[in-house]
Amino acid sequence: MFERVLIANRGEIAVRIIRACKELGVQTIAVYSKADQHAMHVQLADEAICIGNSASAESYLHVPSIIKAAEIFDVEAIHPGYGFLAEDAHFAEICESCRVKFIGPQPEVIRRMGDKAEALRAAKGAGVPVIPGSDGVVADKTEALKVVEQIKYPVMIKAAAGGGGRGMRVAHTDVALSNALATAQAEAEAAFGNPAVYIEKYLENPRHVEVQVVADAKGNAVHLGERDCSVQRRHQKLIEEAPSPAVTPSIRRAMTKMALKLVQEVGYVNAGTIEFLLDKDSNFYFIEMNTRIQVEHTVTEMIYGVDLIKEQIRIAAGEKLSLDQRSLVVRGHAIECRVNAEDPVNGFKPTPGTIRFCSLPAGPNVRVDAHIYSGYSVPPHYDSLLAKLCTWGHDRDEAIRTMRRALDEFYVEGVATTIPFHKHVMHHPKFIGATFGNHFADEVVRDQGWS
Amino acid sequence: MDLKEIKQILRLMEENGLAEFELERDGLRIALRKAGPAPMTVPVALPQAPVPVAPAETPAPAADTGEATHQDTSAYINSPMVGTFYVAPSPDAPSFVDVGQTVGKDDVVCILEAMKVMNEIKAEVEGEIAEVLAENGEPVEYGQPLFRVKIA
Repeated sequence: MFERVLIANRGEIAVRIIRACKELGVQTIAVYSKADQHAMHVQLADEAICIGNSASAESYLHVPSIIKAAEIFDVEAIHPGYGFLAEDAHFAEICESCRVKFIGPQPEVIRRMGDKAEALRAAKGAGVPVIPGSDGVVADKTEALKVVEQIKYPVMIKAAAGGGGRGMRVAHTDVALSNALATAQAEAEAAFGNPAVYIEKYLENPRHVEVQVVADAKGNAVHLGERDCSVQRRHQKLIEEAPSPAVTPSIRRAMTKMALKLVQEVGYVNAGTIEFLLDKDSNFYFIEMNTRIQVEHTVTEMIYGVDLIKEQIRIAAGEKLSLDQRSLVVRGHAIECRVNAEDPVNGFKPTPGTIRFCSLPAGPNVRVDAHIYSGYSVPPHYDSLLAKLCTWGHDRDEAIRTMRRALDEFYVEGVATTIPFHKHVMHHPKFIGATFGNHFADEVVRDQGWS
Repeated sequence: MDLKEIKQILRLMEENGLAEFELERDGLRIALRKAGPAPMTVPVALPQAPVPVAPAETPAPAADTGEATHQDTSAYINSPMVGTFYVAPSPDAPSFVDVGQTVGKDDVVCILEAMKVMNEIKAEVEGEIAEVLAENGEPVEYGQPLFRVKIA
């Protein structure tokens, strides 16, 4: 096991990783930007070092500073969390060459699965169903039209180097196709520095279902079932749950089998998530693989009674997977609500500022992964996630009741939060009946008369 | 400085429980010391005639010590990055700067190393090196004070 690990991240995930390390007896080194002087992860770590100015590019994304900090404290491993450098193959390579273990998959795998078009090729190679579409990058309208002839409208144009919902455009007609192509290419260039796009069949109102996998470096791999992340707004997840209310045992069997096939195909090591879209006819299609731990790993942990971060660290330290497929049995249901510093009443506008006072929910079956405290100033430079409120129940209904109760206890004064949105969803018949689709969040906003 | 001002200072000292007070300004230096056991010493910043200060960096988030700080005439060169601090271009070479040496904005005062890259750090202020605050060969963090410079 490692003696010292550096956490190359901030916010709630840095706190999460520090907690896992502490329980494993591993010393923790936190890095922070000037804006994060008073951040919780800085307080909790054994050592902390300021590595740069507030802008992410000068701090959490600044590879030389992070590597230097790792060297100063002579750490053996770096946990990149999610976002920032978590899926940066180049950073993973530099860690390797500096003989610091990157807690995650191999650089080549990160690079391969990070290229959306390449990932699709890998999936096809493994026999995993993919959405019908172009075979790789589409350069212009002529090529695009040829693809459309095959797969029929509606189609979605997506950035090859993209993710997080950016560089994506839908088209229903030939006319719309030109515009969509140009816009998607421009957006992709701006967001990812790469204008390459590809085309897929657009599925109407699919459910976003993802499978958690973990593999060690000794050839052992397990799946930990699926999560449903269908409550999204502008492709940003707001609510996640496990298991998915839309997945039957036979779909689950097929989906998780495909997920493990892909793990084997690419020789994946450590934790990862394979994303699928599930259409109304119960067909599922691979869309992408996230080669990192995800925000919503929590709900999976709650239904299986496992600690995925500890597992990541153990695997990176060369240990055998401590999880065994036969003993991984789902118990109950878990839901997570992302509490962001955003105002749902005003277009989810980010609202950084000082949390004058806050009181976090607790009690049985309530888990809060947060980095906030009374008096904490939420900086404007980073994402707006304040806390992940997770609840567990023997069934979905109980998990929802517990979530309602916990949301009522969650008090934040000083910044706006998404708590009012979550409260409405937890009382909404479509959510309760699990009949909602991808546009549910927008429907809630509209019904409430918010902007 | 007239008696009225001195009395004001004495009252301030009394109100804040100070045993010692020192002020240096415009060629004047005054020190007041209370007889008897000294309670805590706390630096007191008095309003003063504006002193021309080049883009002075405020001291980094380091704890305030009990001694009188030199806020009125000093600027700090703080580290612009995390790295290992070196006072000289190589182990046997002389230091870039010495205490007492005058520096200009573009003068190199030290090297900060990270990932084998030796970054030459410029003073960015004009003045006289009053103190070297970091240790040669030791790591420093972003914002850590490296030099105190007496502003000319």
